[in-house]
Amino acid sequence: MADNNVSDVNANGMSVEDQKRRRFLTGITAGFGAVGVGTAVVPFVLSMSPSERAKNAGAPVQYDFSKIQEGQLVKVEWRGKPVVLLKRSGEMMAGLDAIKGSLADPDSAASIQPGYAQNNQRADAARPELLVMEGVCTHLGCSPVEKLAIGPDPQMGADSQGGFFCPCHGSKFDLAGRVYKDVPATTNMPVPPYKFEGSVITIGEDDGRNA
Amino acid sequence: MKKLSLLLVTLLSASVLASSALAAGGHGAAVDEVHMNMSDKASLQNGAKIFVNYCLSCHSAEYSRYNRVAEDLEIPLWQLKENLMFTTEKEGDLMKTTMPADDAKAWFGVTPPDLSLVARVRKPDWIYTYLRAFYLDESSPSGWNNSLFENVAMPHAMYELQGVQRVVGKIDSATQEVDSHGKPIAKEGQIIVGDTIFELQHPGKMSSVEFDKAMSDLTAFLSYMGEPAQLKRHTIGVFTIGFLILLMLLCMVLKAEYWRDVH
Amino acid sequence: MAIHRHDNHKSANAFMEWVDQRFPATKVWNEHLAEYMAAKNFNFWYFFGSLAILMLVVQIATGIFLTMHYKPDAELAFASVEYIMRDVPYGWLVRYLHSTGASMFFVVVYLHMFRGVIYGSHREPRELVWLIGCVIFVALMAEAFMGYLLPWGNMSYWGAQVILSLFDVIPFVGPALTEWIRGDFVISDATLNRFFAFHVILLPLILVALVFLHLVALHQVGSNNPDGIDIYENLDEDGKPVDGIPFFPYIVIKDLIGVAGFLIVYLGIVFFWPDLGGIFLEKDNFAPANPLQTPPDIVPLWYFTPFYSILRASTTSLLEAMLWINAGIVAWMWIRSKISIKAKIAFSILAAGVAVGLYFGSGKAWGVVLMAAAIVCFFLLPWLDRSPVYSIRYRSMPFKIALVLFLAAFFILGYLGMNAPTPGKTLLAQICTVIYFAFFALMPWFTSIGQTKPEPSRVTYEAH
Repeated sequence: MADNNVSDVNANGMSVEDQKRRRFLTGITAGFGAVGVGTAVVPFVLSMSPSERAKNAGAPVQYDFSKIQEGQLVKVEWRGKPVVLLKRSGEMMAGLDAIKGSLADPDSAASIQPGYAQNNQRADAARPELLVMEGVCTHLGCSPVEKLAIGPDPQMGADSQGGFFCPCHGSKFDLAGRVYKDVPATTNMPVPPYKFEGSVITIGEDDGRNA
Repeated sequence: MKKLSLLLVTLLSASVLASSALAAGGHGAAVDEVHMNMSDKASLQNGAKIFVNYCLSCHSAEYSRYNRVAEDLEIPLWQLKENLMFTTEKEGDLMKTTMPADDAKAWFGVTPPDLSLVARVRKPDWIYTYLRAFYLDESSPSGWNNSLFENVAMPHAMYELQGVQRVVGKIDSATQEVDSHGKPIAKEGQIIVGDTIFELQHPGKMSSVEFDKAMSDLTAFLSYMGEPAQLKRHTIGVFTIGFLILLMLLCMVLKAEYWRDVH
Repeated sequence: MAIHRHDNHKSANAFMEWVDQRFPATKVWNEHLAEYMAAKNFNFWYFFGSLAILMLVVQIATGIFLTMHYKPDAELAFASVEYIMRDVPYGWLVRYLHSTGASMFFVVVYLHMFRGVIYGSHREPRELVWLIGCVIFVALMAEAFMGYLLPWGNMSYWGAQVILSLFDVIPFVGPALTEWIRGDFVISDATLNRFFAFHVILLPLILVALVFLHLVALHQVGSNNPDGIDIYENLDEDGKPVDGIPFFPYIVIKDLIGVAGFLIVYLGIVFFWPDLGGIFLEKDNFAPANPLQTPPDIVPLWYFTPFYSILRASTTSLLEAMLWINAGIVAWMWIRSKISIKAKIAFSILAAGVAVGLYFGSGKAWGVVLMAAAIVCFFLLPWLDRSPVYSIRYRSMPFKIALVLFLAAFFILGYLGMNAPTPGKTLLAQICTVIYFAFFALMPWFTSIGQTKPEPSRVTYEAH
């Protein structure tokens, strides 16, 4: 048993190959350990995502929209958010084309909606007059108030075609939830997936259809 | 020192084994061993069907969700909705009984307990034996009694399957014939459940063998419901332990490398 | 700018230079890791210190994620645990890591303490390391006890009821104190809520602080080793111990093997046997708390059972036996012992006081006293142990025999504590209780007799 003197041997007495091998082994073990730690973190991160209870509470909701009058707006709760159901009149539909020039994202290219609602009315072609939209401002999440009347309005402007006005920071949207230019919000209000069965609309489920 | 370590390890493992054997033994009543295969989906599905049809009308499983059961047991959702659920329920709802707790209390004297965790409180062998140990007893308020759980308030929910049993007597351990596993052999026309000998007064829809199989399916389902994660955790466990063994080997190589410095 | 450096630790680069002038980063790193010298003959038993720290981290990490879903409310607590087990993604894993982790923490801590006993790590100059460690052990028991109430199962409820009732025996203030701790006349929502506060905030903070102190004290005096000799007796020309190696990287890398091996056992239990047949998770605790129905046998979790057994063993017959033992010790002292006459008189008065207490005290009160004493005994170990050598490798035969007897008694007590008492088992528990206390009471005697082996001047180590 020779006298032990670790630090000196370590500093001076190691050949290049020894150092290389040591570095390689350290690297591979550290890499392995990092993979282990990374994997161990996954269940903890996932445990913070919505639970089965939250998912069930956020399950699709159904609503019989035959009760809605023309020009009338109702709000339905889905996943804790107000979903706007608006049966637009002919006059309202016509207004959507008139204001296209003053919108920030008229073709909804940067906005969230299913493929079948990415059009001028932002609605399923089966019922173009029915607007189904999450009534949540895309700026900071307030719920815009409806300004359904066509004509001058203190907030919406002199030639308003009707729309939604967010009281928090003054964002303006048209009756398809499309955002106006030059307001804090930059994208249109989202359209959730939905489907029809007779006069019953299911919000939150569209069987994966795209058109 | 080696001797002391050895002694410690021996003491430790002996006490773990002794205590877990003790904990498993429970209340010391004579129970029959149930044969369950938790990876047998057909068995679990059959257990789920029996549970919904015969148990859920009085008992709830209020921590368990329909869609989770469907997913874990590979039951198609439509089948679940059509056969196992009430129309008003959502697929992600908890499995609650339709019987109001107050009515239940009035009818049975006690509220039927929730069954989500029954297999963790009672051992599977106990459940399997209990389910098969109901017999006709005119002196009891419900008309039924149970040889494992005397004077239980619960009536026999599955007599149409099992038939109606009557007690012949208790097993006399001195004279009872047993097979090579030490299991008592029933005489012709008799059934042995736990430590009690029965005979069938009226046959049910199932033979004794079929009913035992059905009850072991139901017990398997209750065990699953006690801990749904058990279907998953073994798989994750195998990968985790495999990875750790590799890591440990790597660490040993690394240690040997560094410790070459140490003379 | 005048910055006064009080040390000469060389910074690795310009950035560390900047930091080191403001914060002793390199200094701390060097003094506690890179230049902290540990004996090169550390063996298996030296894994458990770092493993205890690992378990503390695991328990805190899993605990944080459990509190995100757990509800400390008597109406909701039980259901919220089942919610974690079923509805929260991987909640079952987090919960099992925590519940199995609690038991594994105790396994590690018990083995760590045992290491101290067999290698004399509690002896001078490490008495404070040992004492702080004993306080950690007590804090950990409090932490575990309060945590066990949180699932609000029937065993949680009745376990807490029984253990809190122990405070009743304190003269005069006992019942009022118990009521104050519970915040109610029985264990209730108020108790659950305050235990939650203690379990997730107060005790973890205390534990972390104590562990810090434990390490500070250890690094002041240096680590012991399996030979129980002082490595600073043999220094090289640089003034470093020739049998010492830097903690980093050598011991750290070695500990990694221990960590991996330990994780195999720990996660093996988590994934394949999380209730360990009712030892880590008791089956009665899967039924919600029911103030009207006591479980058939109330037993605490395994890590409390040796002490619980001592509590239950305290019956009138044990007190009688203790009276006789008390008298025997005094008689023996007068006849055989060589201590001064003054000490003999002082000791006799003390013994007479104990005798009066034993004669008039109740079994219940003495049970609590004995249980507390069983834990206090550990605190006294550094001063009870009189052996000229530290390590069991060189100890005399009487010590080894006594240690084996103590271990056997400790395990038997632990086993009996998980069982419902019967007359035979109570007698066995009483015998083991006597052995338990005899181990500590007689330690000054049996550590000073018998032939010890000569200690080597250098640690026993053979390079591979």
